[in-house]
Amino acid sequence: MRRILEVHGEEIPVWLASVGQFHVLHLGDREIPCALTTAPGKGAFTLDLNGTSIALRIAVGEEATFVHLDGRAYEIGRTDPSQPLGQADGGAPQDRMIAPMPGAVISVSVAAGDAVTEGQTLMVIESMKLETTITAPRDGVVSEVHFAPGDSFDGKVVLIGFEPLKDAS
Amino acid sequence: MRRMQSQIRSDSAEFKAASEKMQDVVKRFHDLQDKVRYDRPQRDLDRLKRQNKMLARQRLELLLDPGTPFLEFSTLAAYDLYDGQAPGANVITGVGVISGREVVIHADDSSNKGGAWYPMSVPKIVRALEFALENNLPVVHICDSAGGYLEEMSGVFAPGGRVFRNQCILSKKGIPQVAIVCGHCTAGGAYVPGLCEYTIIVRDTGAIFLGGPPLVKAATGEEVSVNDLGGADMHTSISGTGDYPVDTEQAGILLAREIVATFPRKPRAFDWAAPEEPYYDPKEIYGIVPTDYRVRFDMREVIARIVDGSRFHEYQPKYGITLVTGYARIWGCKVGILGNNGVLFNDSSLKAAHFIQLCNQTGTPLIFLQNTTGYMIGREYEERGITKDGAKMLMAQAGSEVPKLTVLTSGAFGAGYYGMCGRAWDPRLLMTWPNAQMGVMGPEQAARTLGDVKLAQMRRADPDLSDEVVQELRDRVRAKAENETSAYWFTSRLYDDGIIDPLDTRNMLGIALTCAAGVSPGAPHYGVYRM
Amino acid sequence: MSITRLLVANRGEIAARVVRTARAIGIKTAVLRHPAEVDAPAHAIADQVVTIDGPTPVSAYLDIGQIVQAARHIGADSVHPGYGFLAENAAFVKALDEAGIIFVGPTAEVIDLMGDKVRARNFVAERGFPVAPSAIEDDNPGDFVERARAVGYPLLIKPSAGGGGKGMRIVREDARLRAEIETARREGERYFGDGRLFVETYIENPRHIEVQVMGDGQGNVVHLWERECSIQRRFQKIIEETPSPALRPGQREEICEAAAGIARAVNYRGAGTVEFIYANDGRFYFLEMNTRLQVEHPVTEMVTGFDLVAEQLRIAAGEPLGLQQDDIHQTGHSIELRVCAEDADADFRPAIGNILLMDEPAGPGVRVDSGILEGGKVTTDFDPMLSKLIVHGRDRAEAIARARRAALDYIILGVTTNLGYLYAILEHPRFGFGDLSTGFLDEEADALKRAPDASSTDILLAATALSDARLVQAVESVPAIYRMMGGWRN
Repeated sequence: MRRILEVHGEEIPVWLASVGQFHVLHLGDREIPCALTTAPGKGAFTLDLNGTSIALRIAVGEEATFVHLDGRAYEIGRTDPSQPLGQADGGAPQDRMIAPMPGAVISVSVAAGDAVTEGQTLMVIESMKLETTITAPRDGVVSEVHFAPGDSFDGKVVLIGFEPLKDAS
Repeated sequence: MRRMQSQIRSDSAEFKAASEKMQDVVKRFHDLQDKVRYDRPQRDLDRLKRQNKMLARQRLELLLDPGTPFLEFSTLAAYDLYDGQAPGANVITGVGVISGREVVIHADDSSNKGGAWYPMSVPKIVRALEFALENNLPVVHICDSAGGYLEEMSGVFAPGGRVFRNQCILSKKGIPQVAIVCGHCTAGGAYVPGLCEYTIIVRDTGAIFLGGPPLVKAATGEEVSVNDLGGADMHTSISGTGDYPVDTEQAGILLAREIVATFPRKPRAFDWAAPEEPYYDPKEIYGIVPTDYRVRFDMREVIARIVDGSRFHEYQPKYGITLVTGYARIWGCKVGILGNNGVLFNDSSLKAAHFIQLCNQTGTPLIFLQNTTGYMIGREYEERGITKDGAKMLMAQAGSEVPKLTVLTSGAFGAGYYGMCGRAWDPRLLMTWPNAQMGVMGPEQAARTLGDVKLAQMRRADPDLSDEVVQELRDRVRAKAENETSAYWFTSRLYDDGIIDPLDTRNMLGIALTCAAGVSPGAPHYGVYRM
Repeated sequence: MSITRLLVANRGEIAARVVRTARAIGIKTAVLRHPAEVDAPAHAIADQVVTIDGPTPVSAYLDIGQIVQAARHIGADSVHPGYGFLAENAAFVKALDEAGIIFVGPTAEVIDLMGDKVRARNFVAERGFPVAPSAIEDDNPGDFVERARAVGYPLLIKPSAGGGGKGMRIVREDARLRAEIETARREGERYFGDGRLFVETYIENPRHIEVQVMGDGQGNVVHLWERECSIQRRFQKIIEETPSPALRPGQREEICEAAAGIARAVNYRGAGTVEFIYANDGRFYFLEMNTRLQVEHPVTEMVTGFDLVAEQLRIAAGEPLGLQQDDIHQTGHSIELRVCAEDADADFRPAIGNILLMDEPAGPGVRVDSGILEGGKVTTDFDPMLSKLIVHGRDRAEAIARARRAALDYIILGVTTNLGYLYAILEHPRFGFGDLSTGFLDEEADALKRAPDASSTDILLAATALSDARLVQAVESVPAIYRMMGGWRN
């Protein structure tokens, strides 16, 4: 129930609580009791805040909420702090590309010393009748290429090594 | 249910004086609790900063749903043991709300001695897992411990296995556990995440291995780094001991919240209505309950300040009047309350056994509010079978299937402590007020008896004992007795689940009842009542 | 000759607007649509939608062959080009002529003439209409400096090969002339590889005044009075109005008669606009003629009461002009706001997004010509103009008041628009006084910036949190007892 909301260019962490009919929005040290009810009209709502009723229109998008208030339109960015985890984890800087299982090398596109960009094709291998393209997980410099086209390799061996990142923060 | 009528005159000078005395006692408790929770050596705080680790309580706040309560167990465990080197036994346990679900939490506190487990850490963790088992609650472990404290290893070793055994039984019962590995889990400690259904490992700070690099080098000569031996990437991609690698503790904690959000919710047992604040001011409890257990008070006045709307349906109001029984609601849950109003006699003992059965008949949880110096002694009572009747109270408890909760409000002495659902009778929680005293007998009695015995010994050796020596002996014996009958002594040794401010009791009971509501009580089945 | 089935070779608001009039007079309609386009009002009201394709959406609308083929395929007897795209493309007109399809607009010859700025200027000057004094170096490099001096000061030196404002130098005193000519020449060489120049009178704080004209190609031409379009940003019009607050009595007739005269001189057929540049001292000079219906034509319709598209269609069907100059009066005042998907706070960068909610303003004197539907997507495939908001009032003050109210009431949520910017312009005192020039928006750029309203922050946060269904659900999934206890700790 935490969110980071971006308003007027500023990111504000908030969390929402509810007690009975009312909600309370917490930001920093402040608590804002508030309630939202629908009103007649497309996307029309009444927001009760600090004892006043405010008419506004709201449209909720994927990553931002749009509000029309007092004749002006606003965009508020929404981030769920836990959402970035929806993708795979950040990923450690990988220094070694390891063979998932035994196989053979079909082609090699780089050599030691080459600078590569994330996603660039490094090598194509074949295992269990499946061709896999090994791509660079990050920008970097290739430090070693262990096999040549036609070579076979065992599982878990290092196929390609990268220079370690100097400043992995 | 009818509202109780209070007889208290809260504006009288007497009341105010009593209230102030109790508030002092409570304040001393809070001060000690704060010290145990927050006082840490600066060098440990610096070390955590260097290691990029959050404090255990910071992790907790991020883990819990904002704006929800957290009931901490046994905060003062081991506070007067090991020269005070292990505040809280270096571990935080309790029950809180994560993604809308009640979860038992065990968090190693690495801000002291690296979070090493002392002998008392084991029963504290075991107890938390028992609470999870009894209430079918999932568990989140935040693992960050240096392992068993070497100098006290002998006290940790054998009992320690019970932690892992409980974890296995939790899993067997279909109760999931999540581990967030924020530090090294070494040797036995490796089993905590190893036995969890979901294990999250923080890169570079978290690691799991049966033996760390120094041990490995000493044993086989192999040189290997922490990360290669048991780091996040190795375990989550090669060995499969861990499930999720994360870059930061924050990410790990948020991921744990996501995992808990997938756990099913349980239907709620018991009879619930809308909650209502007590009609009478709970703060008046401070003036009602004396700091000296020997001074009597009417338990009904305490009940009136804990239950919803101060409404109480008293059962058998005229019979066995030294025990108050009746129904009330706490945070909306209908409960059966037993409260002492004096010594337990035959009739009050029978009334208790009877009422316990009554509550089991309707699946109503039981709340025991203790203030007893035990059962009545004397010939008349023995002839009427006071022991038998006390035994019936114990038997009723053992056959009980509804959850039981116990609060020691003032005195808890002798078998009365047992009869009113003492520790051994498996209350889901047993908490103590800071003024409470408990033991086989009251401290004065203990001091006198023990003193007499010792004096007799000393007089045999030396007939001319001076008055000063006598007094000094009596004083020493009394001080020891008072210390060893104090709530603090008991809580330090985990004979209870924590000391609690009387004003917090209502919330504690509400949370405990909500937790207990996840398990429907079975049909009661009693042993033989000696009739 | 009559028109029974019209293909509108355009999109967005103008396609819808043309279709509406065509339907009203009983003509069957068809519009074009590229696969990348989302549903728009024109698609819903046209009788047919014809798919066209191309590597980019814009390229499809410029594909003469494909469009002529489409018109043939559906049996259209006429094509209305809207504005932009192929509206002033003589090759398109010729292709339609060859296909025997009526082009709703002027002839290819007139389009060619007026499309060549130099030819147009010369044509107009030869017939005695006012053009800005100028000197073209190419005519005679030898006495260029003399001829430049003769233009008078202030003057503007422009590279012949140039555009976009590059290489232009303003000269206010004779002493600077030669030096600035040299500088301009160097810049012309640097930017355009061509150092040749021409010189023009420079008008300080010019106003952009244009006149709507209409002719039937049979010798009848009328004007429908003027429009002022001085509110421009980077040469793009943003707000247009009629009548112009600048013109004194007598001047209005003079300019409009000049425009009609120019249109008569080419025996103009269709709707057209003659654009002038107007100086504060009352001088005005021919700038160019646009041989098409213009974006801002609605304001003319609001004050004169005539449907210009209906007239275009009648004329294209061969009928003589149905209007007499004496019948054409301006009643009241009209203002048009171009509502665009752009972020005024981020240097007017084009905005993209989904139109999550749209509510058009309505009421007396309010007209919205919209090219978007709620639920549609805004991309950078096409021009950022979403719609036109046109108001009419009995005088300029009432028109401004209605425009302000309509801008506040016009709700478009999901994509950033310039509605706030338009409102700020309408509120600016200079706009209220009619103190305008083409430099207005640049001069008042700072005044038109609106600072974020700090008092709205709490409201926006609360509205966002409470309308976040997943957030509210997560909060309410916490058992009530825990929510009531709040953040209690023992």
